Order: sequence, then structure tokens, then C-alpha cells
Amino acid sequence: MSAATGIDTTAEPVAPRRRSWWRLLLADKAAALALVILVVIVLAAVLAPVVAPHNPYASSRSVMLPPVWEARGSWNHILGTDGQGRDILSRILYGTRTTLIIGLVAVVVGGVLGSLLGLVSAFYKRIDPYVMRLVDMMLSFPAILLGLALVAVFGPGVVPVIVALAIATIPDCARIGRSIAVSVMEQEFIEAGRAVGLSDGALFTRYLLRNCISSIMIFISLRFGQVILIGAALSFLGLGARPPAAELGMMAAQGRDFLLFAPHIAVIPSVAIFVIVLCANIVGDALRDVLDPRLRS
Amino acid sequence: MIETIVNRLLLSIPVLLGVLILGFVLVQVAPGDPARVLAGPMAPPEVVATIRERMGLDDPIVVQFMRYMGRLMQGDLGRSLISNKTVISELGAAIGPTVELMFACLIWSIPAGIAMGTLAAVWRGSLVDRVIMAFSVAGVSLPIFFICLVLIQYLGVKWQLLPFIGRGGPLWTVDGLRHIALPALSLGLIFIGPVARMTRSSVLEVLRLDHVRTARAKGLSERAVILRHGLRNALIPVITLIGLQAGYLLGGAVVTETIFSYPGIGRLAVGAILSADFPLTQGAILVLALAFILINMIVDILYALLDPRVQKK
Repeated sequence: MSAATGIDTTAEPVAPRRRSWWRLLLADKAAALALVILVVIVLAAVLAPVVAPHNPYASSRSVMLPPVWEARGSWNHILGTDGQGRDILSRILYGTRTTLIIGLVAVVVGGVLGSLLGLVSAFYKRIDPYVMRLVDMMLSFPAILLGLALVAVFGPGVVPVIVALAIATIPDCARIGRSIAVSVMEQEFIEAGRAVGLSDGALFTRYLLRNCISSIMIFISLRFGQVILIGAALSFLGLGARPPAAELGMMAAQGRDFLLFAPHIAVIPSVAIFVIVLCANIVGDALRDVLDPRLRS
Repeated sequence: MIETIVNRLLLSIPVLLGVLILGFVLVQVAPGDPARVLAGPMAPPEVVATIRERMGLDDPIVVQFMRYMGRLMQGDLGRSLISNKTVISELGAAIGPTVELMFACLIWSIPAGIAMGTLAAVWRGSLVDRVIMAFSVAGVSLPIFFICLVLIQYLGVKWQLLPFIGRGGPLWTVDGLRHIALPALSLGLIFIGPVARMTRSSVLEVLRLDHVRTARAKGLSERAVILRHGLRNALIPVITLIGLQAGYLLGGAVVTETIFSYPGIGRLAVGAILSADFPLTQGAILVLALAFILINMIVDILYALLDPRVQKK
């Protein structure tokens, strides 16, 4: 689409072309499709209580009903029912909600804390070595181990999983935030800001933060998919969300027992996770390519 | 060189201490009374009190920590609350299988990923490139348990090609190989994507460099240019990737082992957590953390060995 406008944007000496970034994003057909799917999924999850055809926790006598496209399927339960006769479509809607909340809260909390840590460390160079040592130490705790440890202490549940995933997001974001901030700090306008006598606070929020925020947001969006996968894996193992709550990973685990005669019970939630993560990854990649090719590596 | 290694070793000391403290805290903060668990729910309070005393659970925290460190130095991690076997012996039995699984996974997925990444880079923009990259994005987006379940469903149940429960024996036996095939295949499938991606971008980068142009100008065949001058230099980031992705792989192994009832550390950890077996949980997490630290240390050192530029920094 950029070719259609006939303007060679690469020739511009200054990078920003803020108005049209979303156009570039939508020009990438895969990214546009992924974005649409993601928006639909998020809407469906938010509106779950309104759009769900059945109560997600209510069992019925029609146990292990196949989805509608199979021979015994019924339009009453479009995606069939699970081992306890609960409507899978409704549970998927509610489960997506839980899964998205786990991922979002963890990524936002960890991302904000981490990137602030990175920015502060680039801003006040005195504390930089200490912060980076701390980050190095945190990096030597992979998310899954933190998850296992916290669950071991507090017992299985959504909260320990979110806390573990948030903590695990901090060091990566701190590193990225710092490396972006260091290059911004070298720019002349920071010097200029200092020269006109801006306070540290104003310099930090108005000059540094504003120039880093889009790159950081992209990085956080790239993490989102991974965080969802780890959260779902922990729930699958029985360490995350507890029954009867609906969560996609846990639903897949419950379907494991019926794999031989009713594979859809495990397959549908797994595919739901796959679609969410795939779309998030595609959108994140495209966003990065459009907004900040520096992060490509 | 030696300085790099020493620095790296020094850096891991605080991390190691952190891991140890975590292990200790895990046993301390854990809800439920280990003495009560050991005695059983029906035991009279006197019995529980005696067990508490014998386990030293009433001493101050600092004393308990020092005692814990002392025991750890002697390789004593306590006994499992469930099986009453020593934690060390349980861990010892589980480490071998996990190392085997990692080995079996990496031995096929790294070469496969490197080959795919190189092909994608060489035929950049072609259909092959697109298919490989699509496969790689799909690979990092698939939940590992789904891959396991699909492989069990088809290769295990429907076509009955391979066993999918437990471990058949050591890796060098036929039964051992047959049993490890499906778990190693599942785990490898999530690892190919990142390797292929990383290889592709680093080969593309290297192929732009001057020495590659020189090699071409010399009249070397395209094959020699790519294999000897391109790929060889592009492998360094791939090695770093293994360190970066060690956590990802570890998580995958925990899920894979659990699904395939494969008797490794990951399954041990999950089982211990679910049955509130704190000494065993603590031991398993310690081992996993140590393994992770070790892998990263080896990767860092390898990196410095392979790329002389790193040492100069």
C-alpha cells in the first residue's frame, strides 16, 4: 500500500511517520486478519456472559456430545459438551476470559515494572550496574520455575501463576527498556532539556518516557503470546486455575481423559489457545516491523 | 579467556545463594505441617509433637537455615513425605531420564532447525522461505500439550507405531529409544521454530558481510560460500539462543514428561507439588534451577570460546 501512495518514506531523514503506522499494519494482510480475529476473540471473551448460549458451569445429561459438524452433533451445543455435559462453547468463552486476564495482567504489571526499572537505570547511570546485576539474577529464574515455586508455596491458583508470570516478565522488559533508553539518552534534546533547566522528573516523563514508550509497548506485545502459553501450561498441569472455573489450559487437561472417544473436548480449547497466541504473535511481529525495526533480532 | 570464565562463575554465586534461600523458604512458608503429613491425619497430637521435635521444626529460623545448608553440603535433602525414600535418591533416579530427553530432543531439533533456517535464508522471499517461516511462527504459538496429545492420538493410539507411556530403559536400548521417541519429538517440535528463525536472520546478516563477498569473488561455489563462510559464522547466535531458550525448553520438558508419564525431574516436581510433598518439591526445584544456571554458564563460556570478539569487550 505504501507503494500505491508513491511516496518513498525511506528517503525521509527523520523516522516518525506517526499518522500512517496503522495503515502500514493493515497493509500486511496476515497482520490485518490476525488483528481482526484477535479483536473478535477479545470482544467475545468480554461479552461472555451476554453471548454464551449456556451456563458454563451447569452439567447436563448429554455428556460428550460431539460438535455440530459431526454426525451426532446438535445445534443446541454447537461445539458439543464435555465429560460432565457442560456446553463447550460457553466454557470456551469464559475460559478465554480467564486465559486472557492471566496473560494481560501478568504482561502489563511485569512490563510496566520492568521497563520502568530499565528506564530509571538508564536515566540514573549511578545505579545502572546494580540494577543490571539484579536483572541478571532474575533472568536466571525461568518463568516456569518461578511458577512451580510460587504454586508450591501458595498452592495452585490463578494468583500465584499471574504473580510468577509478572515477575518473569520484569527482567526481559528491564533489559529492553534500558537499551532503548540508553540510545534516547544520547540524543541532543535530552542535553537541551537539561540546559533549559528541566527537573529530572520532567526530563524523565516528557523526554525519555515518551520517546521509549512505543518500542516498549511492542516488546510487551511480543511477550504476550509466550506468557499465555506458560500460563496455559501451568493450568494444564493442574497448578493454575482450579475447577470448576473455566480456563483453556485446564479444559484441555480435562479433555485428556476422553481423548480416545471424544477428542474434541481437548482439541477445541487447545486450538483456541493456538489461535490467540498465533494472532498475538503475528500482530506483535507486524507492529514491530512497522513501528520499530530496531527491535528486530 | 580465563577471566571471562572466572567472571561468569563469580556471577553465578549470588544466583546460587538465591536459589538455596528459595529452596529453604519453600519448605518454611509451605502451608500445612510436615510433621502432621508424615504422621497422618489420624495421629494423636503427642505423636505429631514428637515428630516435630525430631525434625527440629521448633528451632529458630536461622538455626534451621544453617542446619539446612549443612545438610545440603552433605547431599542430604531430607525424605519424601509420600514415599519416605531420600530426596537425593528420588532425584538421582529422575535426572538421567531428563538429561536423556533433553539430549534426544536437541539432537534432532537443532540440526533440523538450522537446516530449515539456512534454506529459508538462502531462498529468501521464495515459497520455501514462507512455508518455513509460517511453520516456525505456528511452532512457537502451539501449546506444547497440544502437540503431545496429537502425537499420542495418532502415532500412539491410532496407528500404534510408538509407545507413549513411561520410559523403556536407557537410551541405547531399543525399548528406551522407542519410548523416548514421542516425548523427544513433541519437545523438539516447539524448539525447531526459534532455532530456524534465529538461523535465518543470522545467516541473512552474515551473507551481507565483506568476507562472504570475497569468498564469492574468489570463485567459490555458492554451496561452499553458504556452508563454510555463511553458516559457520551464523551459528554463534544459535548457540546463545539455546541458553536463552533453556527456560522455555525446561517448561516444555515439565509438561512433556507429565503427559507421557516419563519419570524425569519435571514430572517429579509437578507430582510433588500436587501432593504437597515439600522436601521433594524443594529438591526438584533446586535441581531444575541448578541445571538452568549450569546450561547458561556453559553457553556463555562456549560463546566466548567461539567468538573471540566477545572476550575483547
